[in-house]
Amino acid sequence: MIFPKWTNSLPLVLLLGAALAGGGVAAGVTIYLTPKYTRAGYQPVQPVPFSHKIHAGQLGVDCRYCHNGVEKSWFSNLPGASTCMNCHNQVLKDDPRLAIVRDSAANNTPIPWVQVHLVPDYVYFNHSVHVTRGISCVECHGRVDQMDEVRHVKSFSMSFCLNCHRDPAAHIRPPDKVTSLGWQWSTNAAEAESLQDVNGKKFVHDWKVESLQSCSACHR
Amino acid sequence: MKNLNNNSASPATGRRYWRSLDELADTPEFKDWLHREFPVGASEMVEDGTSRRHFLKIMSASFAFAGIATLGAGCRRPVANLEPFGQQPENYTFGDAQYFATAMPTRTGAIPLVVKSYEGRAVKIEGNALYPGSNGSTDRYAQASILDLYDVDRARHFKHDGQVVSREAALGFLADLSQKFAANQGEGLAFLAESSTSPSRARLQKIIAEKFPKSQWFTYDAIDSGIHQRAATQVFGQPVKPIFHFDQAKVIVSLDCDFLGGEDDAHNHIRKFAAGRKAGEGMSRLYAVESLFTLTGASADHRLRVVASLIGQIAQAISLEVFGLTLPQAKSTPVTVPAGVDEKWVSECAKDLVANHGNALVVAGQRQPLEVHLLAYAINSALGAIGNTVTLIPAQETVPADLKNASVSDTLVILGGNPAYNSQLPMLHAQTQASPTIVRLGYYEDETTSTTWKSQWLFPATHFLESWGDATTSDGTTVPVQPLTQPLFGGLTELELLAHLAGESQTNPYDIVRTTLGGSDAAWKMSLFSGFVEGSAPKPAILPVDQFIVTPKLAKVSTPTKDSLEVIFFRDAKVDDGRYSNNGWMQELPDPITKMTWDNAVLISRKTARELGVANGDIVEISLNGKTVSGPIWTQPGMADYSLGLALGYGREKAGRVGTGVGFNAYKIFSGKYIETGATIKKTGETYTLACTQHHWSMEGRPAVREANLEEFLKEPKFAQENFHGVEPPVVQSLYPNPLDEAKQTALHQWGMTVDLNACVGCGTCVVACQSENNIPIVGKDQVLRGREMHWMRIDRYFTTDPKQKDDKSIFNPTADANQTDANQQFAEWIDDVQAVNQPMLCQMCEAAPCESVCPVNATVHDQEGLNVMAYNRCIGTRYCSNNCPYKVRRFNFLDFNKRPLTELKGTMYSTTLTHKTDGEWDLLRWWKDPNSGMRSEDEWDLIKLSKNPDVTVRMRGVMEKCTYCTQRIEHAKISQKAKAGASDNVRLSEAAGTVPKTACQQACPAGAITFGDVSDPDSSVSKLKLLPQNYAVLADLLTKPRTTYLARIRNPNPAMPDYHEPFSTEEYDHASLTPKGSS
Repeated sequence: MIFPKWTNSLPLVLLLGAALAGGGVAAGVTIYLTPKYTRAGYQPVQPVPFSHKIHAGQLGVDCRYCHNGVEKSWFSNLPGASTCMNCHNQVLKDDPRLAIVRDSAANNTPIPWVQVHLVPDYVYFNHSVHVTRGISCVECHGRVDQMDEVRHVKSFSMSFCLNCHRDPAAHIRPPDKVTSLGWQWSTNAAEAESLQDVNGKKFVHDWKVESLQSCSACHR
Repeated sequence: MKNLNNNSASPATGRRYWRSLDELADTPEFKDWLHREFPVGASEMVEDGTSRRHFLKIMSASFAFAGIATLGAGCRRPVANLEPFGQQPENYTFGDAQYFATAMPTRTGAIPLVVKSYEGRAVKIEGNALYPGSNGSTDRYAQASILDLYDVDRARHFKHDGQVVSREAALGFLADLSQKFAANQGEGLAFLAESSTSPSRARLQKIIAEKFPKSQWFTYDAIDSGIHQRAATQVFGQPVKPIFHFDQAKVIVSLDCDFLGGEDDAHNHIRKFAAGRKAGEGMSRLYAVESLFTLTGASADHRLRVVASLIGQIAQAISLEVFGLTLPQAKSTPVTVPAGVDEKWVSECAKDLVANHGNALVVAGQRQPLEVHLLAYAINSALGAIGNTVTLIPAQETVPADLKNASVSDTLVILGGNPAYNSQLPMLHAQTQASPTIVRLGYYEDETTSTTWKSQWLFPATHFLESWGDATTSDGTTVPVQPLTQPLFGGLTELELLAHLAGESQTNPYDIVRTTLGGSDAAWKMSLFSGFVEGSAPKPAILPVDQFIVTPKLAKVSTPTKDSLEVIFFRDAKVDDGRYSNNGWMQELPDPITKMTWDNAVLISRKTARELGVANGDIVEISLNGKTVSGPIWTQPGMADYSLGLALGYGREKAGRVGTGVGFNAYKIFSGKYIETGATIKKTGETYTLACTQHHWSMEGRPAVREANLEEFLKEPKFAQENFHGVEPPVVQSLYPNPLDEAKQTALHQWGMTVDLNACVGCGTCVVACQSENNIPIVGKDQVLRGREMHWMRIDRYFTTDPKQKDDKSIFNPTADANQTDANQQFAEWIDDVQAVNQPMLCQMCEAAPCESVCPVNATVHDQEGLNVMAYNRCIGTRYCSNNCPYKVRRFNFLDFNKRPLTELKGTMYSTTLTHKTDGEWDLLRWWKDPNSGMRSEDEWDLIKLSKNPDVTVRMRGVMEKCTYCTQRIEHAKISQKAKAGASDNVRLSEAAGTVPKTACQQACPAGAITFGDVSDPDSSVSKLKLLPQNYAVLADLLTKPRTTYLARIRNPNPAMPDYHEPFSTEEYDHASLTPKGSS
């Protein structure tokens, strides 16, 4: 006998082992190498301890006061320091935390903010068409009005984009509510959901909202 | 049924169109080209034998190492910063393109432009559609000029005798000069400038002439376009320049005038010519008499091939015929025509001219001597053309300088140009003790920047996109030149330098221009907005018209022979007089006629080549007036016998990384006369490889281009459709439903295009516009030879010949034999008289696209609006799609062309492989330390990336790409419309509202040959054009359902002419029995 008896089970063991190892690698990749893990949760320290929670949440400053290019450009601009100084030449005008901002506004030197949200170069995302057609900031950026330091909460993977593009009715809202991040059709969750369903479908139909899933929608 | 076996539209016998001699001859080399998707070696990375397999081995090992390395580094992306303004500027939104009106000065005019700018950098040049009469088009030079702005080899420093000096020191030197010459009235001071239409320069020139009365001013152009004005001035006795109205002329005769190609203002001529050539009753007719095969000859209905020296005699013969018919008092002078020219050609042409009295136009070419121009005016005058098809406007008088006898004792100020390369000014060629100090305003440190000169100051010049200036267009309108950016390297404009020299208090170019143009601030701002000064075009001069019936005495010319050849020096279609030598887009643009890239050649007719015993690629030495130059031979169909065509502008010694050493320098034997006789050529025995795109992407003889004469078109308007000369309707129908048909139901638009072959003259502007818009890289001569050129759009130029002429012994070659074999056909004389057709070929956006069905990774798929889209990130580079594309419009990035250093363009890439040891270090090790070694250096990339369009992905190695119908422009238009619509359903783009975008090629096309739009909108122009009877799809029988369709070409020959015939191509279809044997 050349092969001992235990070799009979060898194929099965090998097969099982391979399946386990393969499954493990697949699981590892899906968990650790996808944007859900690699991107979501990114919260860099910014040069100025600016709090969206205070400005957008407590004070109720509209997103577009600072990000004023969002309805015109593909890019939602960061405000120049001169925009900050509109208020801060009165409020907290000698606060040491604002020294960089005052310096920037006075000397026209840029503040090196750290970029949080980023789509790859081959994706041509356009802010203006989303916000003017009733897709709220909150859909991609989360409750920024509740964050002190901005945190990357959504995955920004292609499937994330496609989920919405496949069913825009589930996410669309009246354009004037786009920057009210906490807004809902109703305080009652079940009612809100049914109203979203009815109105979403109506908006998609009335405004001729396309469910764009072709490559050309985002890649050029 | 002829074609059951291959189900193809090509008739069973014979190739109908041929694009090169090899193709017609069906040589083994050509067959090899046809049957391989990519040429031999296209898949090999390197030249020196390292195989692809070997390379992969090395690369896979490297990637394994790299993979391990990333585990340590982690997967987080690097930190990126966003840096907003400190002080937010008003009316500026980051990411939104801005547009500014400006103009590109040319020799005798200017092209009004609108330039697109992102974040302060100019990225795309378009024509100014607001300009009266303009259709918003440009020429190819204007399209390519944006690359010059970001040229890495630009002069960047002020220099004195080769040493960098500060700007202040250089300006201080100018101030000293100014004082010195103010004291001695400009004794010994001379200026050498190119011609210019700038009113500000004229003003400063006048100030200088007053301040330094003893100074000299020379105006010099290597390519002189001023002869039209000089001839008109002589004829009418006052400084006027002509405007030719090709749109109003019904019969046009060109006497060696390449008004559609090599002459100044060609884009305007093309626009007007196309307007007069609308298919149908009343379309114009063009007769061309020429020696070179030019774009004008390719568009002509009748083309007379004759050496350039004898064109004066033809002009005289036409004039005598015309006078005989129009002037009863004219003495009947016997009309003589040069030997070999059919007298009937001349007399019938003259009859046609006279029959269209008032609507006829005769134009003489700028390389022809003054007498020919005077004859043309005499004929025009007799035909009642003056005031109708040619108007004259007042102009500034100009005199070209006599440089050969010029002498300058102290200081020579050279404004622009490159006179040491392209002029005969003796002091620039031989330095003596008496040589003057050279003050040079130059865009490059080129041949005119020599370190061996006694004393030289170099001032870096600005690009027109970074300097304030002004110019006058060809119709006399004043246009401001507005900068898009600050000078990148702090250069000076011509106006600034002159103002400093003149000691003016006003030296800022903006102030100079503002002072010159004057007017209210509101009018000035309006002119900056619209790009021209409203109402500044002069009224046509009222001139007496009947007194010019004179026949100037023609200089005696000797007829060229085999031993005394004629040489024609012409402006190159790509590098001009050498000024675009360092422009990679221009170098790689296939010449409109020869389809040659990266070279010039000695163009020669087939008969002459045979008599002299030379063949394509043989290097010959041309001797003319004791001077010699060597270059490779290229047999050009349609060339006159015993005539050599030499393109100027090549053979640069100090052009830069792109242009140095490309081609041969024809200026070496150029003496200022564009046509000279008396040259001899001698074979050197060496050969040279020319990178010609002629063979590439062959249509394999299928009837891609369809044409008819006007009579046939009027009788049978649908001639181009299914039963076109043996083309049969598809025999099968699609078995499966097309998913696009369902998507069409809900999509907002369906995009489509038509290309009017009747309007297209093949100038190539669209190709450069596409390159500029879509970030298409250049690949270099070696890669073009391997068939790897990347142009998304090409212009196929097919030559056709008449098979009947082989029998008809009266017309061309009495010895031609209908039963020749392929091998000796290429030496048959009748082939020299060819017709040419141009066909722009780009992605046809097939509804049933063959490329899509073979892509294993769905990287190329359809979108709901009918675009065949390419997702670069999905592409794995199998190239199956390109294999399956019947139109051969897909391009593959064999190498990382965008990152390839400019210095490697002329050699092979990786000429040393990674396994070589150079400089004592293994290249693999070097690569491991820095994978970018061997790639573009940072300084190159930093500048070149500024020219990239941010709306289009820059593709890397291993990715397939192709025309997208400018999907970025479509998306931009759709997004703008949707953002405007907001909570409403007004989201559809409509042509009526002006929201449908133009593709880059469409916008640039001077002829308006390309129309793009929504084919689901019945009111769009493209839908209407597709309903025209002459609309047809290329290879429609393959059931690809192309969205791009073509409007057939209509020729309008004169039935009374001796060379009247059906279009050669269709005659070939009907004379299948005459096609060469052995073709399939």
